[in-house]
Amino acid sequence: MTYSRLRVERRGPVGWLVFDRPEAANAMDALMFDELERAWAELDADADVRVIVNSGSGKAFQTGVDVAQVARDPAALREHSRRTRDAELRFTAWQCDVRKPVIAAVNGTCAGGGLHFVADADIVIAASTATFLDPHVSLGQVVAYEGIALVRKSPMEPVVRMALVGRAERVTAARACELGVVSQVVDPPAALADEAQELAEKIARNSPAAMAATKRALWGALEHGLTDACRVGAAELVSMWGHPDQEEGPLAFAENRDARWAASGEERDG
Amino acid sequence: MADYEHLIVERHGPVGWLINNRPDALNAMNALMRDEFADAWLELDRDPAVRVIVHTGEGRAFQTGVDVSEIASDGVGMERYRQSVEDWDLHFTAWHQHVWKPVITAVNGICCGGGFHWIADADIVIAASDAQFFDPHVSIGQVVAIEAVGLIRKVPVEAVMRMALVGRYERMSAERAHELGMISQIVDPPELLRDAAQELAEKIARNSPTAMAATKRALWGALEHGLTDACRVGAAELVSMWGHPDQAEGPLAFAEKREPRWQPLEPHDA
Repeated sequence: MTYSRLRVERRGPVGWLVFDRPEAANAMDALMFDELERAWAELDADADVRVIVNSGSGKAFQTGVDVAQVARDPAALREHSRRTRDAELRFTAWQCDVRKPVIAAVNGTCAGGGLHFVADADIVIAASTATFLDPHVSLGQVVAYEGIALVRKSPMEPVVRMALVGRAERVTAARACELGVVSQVVDPPAALADEAQELAEKIARNSPAAMAATKRALWGALEHGLTDACRVGAAELVSMWGHPDQEEGPLAFAENRDARWAASGEERDG
Repeated sequence: MADYEHLIVERHGPVGWLINNRPDALNAMNALMRDEFADAWLELDRDPAVRVIVHTGEGRAFQTGVDVSEIASDGVGMERYRQSVEDWDLHFTAWHQHVWKPVITAVNGICCGGGFHWIADADIVIAASDAQFFDPHVSIGQVVAIEAVGLIRKVPVEAVMRMALVGRYERMSAERAHELGMISQIVDPPELLRDAAQELAEKIARNSPTAMAATKRALWGALEHGLTDACRVGAAELVSMWGHPDQAEGPLAFAEKREPRWQPLEPHDA
């Protein structure tokens, strides 16, 4: 499949999804929306891809919707508006129900709607020069989805501060790491892609089926009260019982070799 | 404009100030102060000239919760509050009063026990470098519930639980509160706290009042629902702004390199 707003690549077991519109700070136009939905599906369905890294080319990671461009395409605007209103957005891994681990590798400015990709990733690492800001309210826009998910994943106060201060302040990569929004700051920034690949390769050594069930269980913690989340999580736990990976894992460990996991992608419904 | 015995209510430019003013009692909340809070929040929320509200205290304490000496000495005790708590009919924080303007708590010294209500219920919290946080409830035979329930949704749980159970025998520093994301800024020297709060508030006052109100509702909604449902509720807030004049004015002012002329908030529901 070909893309003009993204680069979609494979390096070993790692699929890369890279925003590739550097002349517009990687802002999402109508075409990028379409391509994102397609690219997540492609990488999720590819059995050779165990882990997905999401990054950006150029100085910015992602700066949100390119409002002017989308407005020039009435059909695209209508569809994006409908999906926004009906909570049917389909451009992040979470929105597209991606089952594989997703690492966001924030290479530079992450602004406004770019925070969707931080909020909806499983793991976030950042270049030491990366910055985070949310200028929505400075432009008369409301912050919802991305702020809501971030509030559930990190201390709330800094998220609300970012949302209400708007363009007047930026959060540094170092502060994002202290807050637990980011788990690793890469310095020098040029080493970000290598670090992301290395982390992804570590993750790729784990059981794909166990990781998919784990993802569902942990994201489920954000959907329910504690006791209910444990009930839902228990179903995910039990779903692995009898799976070949549960035999293979301990065996490979005892034999001091890499595990040969069942292929991922096969349980995808539909 | 109401007269207050235990609070000071002031305006500085677009910023409304609510100042706890019982310094001889470490700003402990007696029955009168509790009633005055209800009025003061509504007064500032209804004043169209006020864009942002800062809450701080006079003297060496920010807030120390219910006035224990009043409780212990007048024979009525906590019973005076039974009905309002059982009926969930509280009115002393901005959140209780449905204030949808941005609220900054500026912690000027000791914040303990019930003082956490105004940490948990603020949008943004900053603190003087000598501020201290602790929760002595269980050390005097009282239960911690509402303020910690709020806080536990906003910051890492362990830190809240530890404060609740260690009681009066340990204090948290402003520095630790910052690490945890309970506060976003430490002001040093402490004397500069009010200047820093005013400066921050003025930055926020430059953003669209209507977009900020909808953003607040969307983000606080993240604590009410599971992630998916919270996104649905948030989407309604997002869409509520579509067609509002601020959405055209924001980008226009940006393009023309001038301050936006925002619409005032819709009047408070009568």
